[in-house]
Amino acid sequence: MHTVLVVDDEFGVAEVLEAILQDEGYRVVTAINGRQGLDRARETPPDLILLDLMMPIMGGAAMLEALRADAALAHVPVVVMSSLDEAAVRDSCSGYRAFLRKPFRMAEVLRLLPLLMPPDTLAVGHEPPPG
Amino acid sequence: MSTADPTLQRISTGVPGLDQILDGGLFGGAVYIVRGSPGAGKTILANQVCFHHVGHGGRALFVTLLAESHARMLQHMAGMSFYNAEAIPGSLYYVSAFRTLEDEGLKGLMDLLRREIRSHRASLLVLDGLLAVEETSASDREFRKFIHELQAHAALADCTVLLLTNGSRSEYHPEHTMVDGLITLDDVAYGKRRQRELEIKKFRGSASLRGRHPFRIGTAGIVLFPRVEAFLPSATARAPAARVSTGVPDLDAMMAGGPLRATSTLLLGASGAGKTTLGTSFLSCCSAEEPGLHFGFFETPERLVANAAAIGVELQQSIDAGHLHIVWRPPTEQILDDLGNALLDAVRRHGVKRLFIDSLGGFISAADARDRLPAFFAALTDELRVLGVTTLLAVETPNLVSPEVHMPIAGVSALAENMVLLRFAEYGARLYRLISVLKVRGGGFDPRLREFEISAAGVKLQAGFKGAEDMLFGYGRPAPEAPQDDRSATARHDVLPPERG
Repeated sequence: MHTVLVVDDEFGVAEVLEAILQDEGYRVVTAINGRQGLDRARETPPDLILLDLMMPIMGGAAMLEALRADAALAHVPVVVMSSLDEAAVRDSCSGYRAFLRKPFRMAEVLRLLPLLMPPDTLAVGHEPPPG
Repeated sequence: MSTADPTLQRISTGVPGLDQILDGGLFGGAVYIVRGSPGAGKTILANQVCFHHVGHGGRALFVTLLAESHARMLQHMAGMSFYNAEAIPGSLYYVSAFRTLEDEGLKGLMDLLRREIRSHRASLLVLDGLLAVEETSASDREFRKFIHELQAHAALADCTVLLLTNGSRSEYHPEHTMVDGLITLDDVAYGKRRQRELEIKKFRGSASLRGRHPFRIGTAGIVLFPRVEAFLPSATARAPAARVSTGVPDLDAMMAGGPLRATSTLLLGASGAGKTTLGTSFLSCCSAEEPGLHFGFFETPERLVANAAAIGVELQQSIDAGHLHIVWRPPTEQILDDLGNALLDAVRRHGVKRLFIDSLGGFISAADARDRLPAFFAALTDELRVLGVTTLLAVETPNLVSPEVHMPIAGVSALAENMVLLRFAEYGARLYRLISVLKVRGGGFDPRLREFEISAAGVKLQAGFKGAEDMLFGYGRPAPEAPQDDRSATARHDVLPPERG
């Protein structure tokens, strides 16, 4: 089962993503700021992170920087979610794999996630094929 | 008007009209409550102030305590002309503190605000959803303590704070006594229409324009129209000396050479009596030295120019030369103070010296309360005098033919230095247009009743009526003894030559 970490300070966003992604078979961990997100990622290394940009305490750009500096988490694909346009997001942070402009539709998330999961982790939680 | 300590730093709001109402803007490091029902415009106001602030070198933090999506809010703001995507997140940062308040209470929220103000070096903080803080507080005392701490921190950090709220749990508002200012936004019904209004209920450290000021929300965000009668005249008007031509030499002659410069003349008359014709004749004398303005409600600029041309009054050339400006405001759902401010703005912008307002009725129909109108026009005409503007104001009287003259509102005639009455009268199975001068400030005037003709050659005044009386009552009849039609009978005093532009 893939683990997705959702980091967003806005009430409702993480809750809705958590409910829908769980229905789709993902394991979901949530955090409400970058600092909490880093702690959660270190506790339970995720297969993918959905990351808001503007949050209190630690914003998405700072969390991305910390992730890339952490050998254990540097490889984890990050999808930035923001109400800003992509050009503004590119100016303020780097090292993310994909961008979702808020408000987005759930179908966009569900289409994007399988494309970004590392192939080796796709098998996590599944039995190896019979040899 | 400024009464504030000049050492106190002001923060410009960037909301058109608001700095004028606040006598220069908000104070740096002060805490203000912005209160209004949902949809009143609080969020737009706060965002507008934020974008203006960061556009002028400041840094702003927008914290919401509502279960409202920032993405949706910013989508709506993106359609406003003040929105600048490049300011976010560098100098304007949006965070939600809803869950912090839920999980950690007031202390957690205060810690978050302190930390975020410091980390973002914010000089402006918006906290959207003060009601949530109040609802989370166990007591009024705890709520007051939160406000007090926030005030102390805002002052130390030199960060101006706007607290947005829908209202209060109770009629008692302890926070109102503590903060530096209280701004309310309302949506007020006037008959079937509604008008948005802003009021500064409290403003520590400075005077402000009292009372409710209307505003609109459009693509430019909030635009306020300070109540015209709340203004003080920008200076003292000088006593007028020179006279100005009306554009109709015969009427100038009746008015002791024309109205004095920087005075107002009421043109009273029923529909079709010739008020607009006289007004456009007055504007035909515009020049580079005496720019003119037609401020009208009923005729589109194209129709105005065409109708004037049909009676030999050429306006297009003056328009093309930039000597004549036309402001047309269709008389539907207007705001009285918007009209007053737009008029004064156009006068100042173009250096207008000749103004024709067509007509008073356009202002009256826009009035939220008719008892405002005498004070409104007193303030408007005072400022026009200060600006050196000679004004002709058309006033429509209700009856085409009547023995009485009804002023549409009381108290207006006292505001004008000069009055000219245009009437229809029936005599010998024919309808006549009549003109008479009722009042001229600074000199005598020709008291005779004259026939007034409008043709393709322009306006022409005929001699008085021989052998008729009661023409002014609307229904003339042969006089027992015909009066002399003698121009030498005019009551002229101190006649100055008319000036032409």
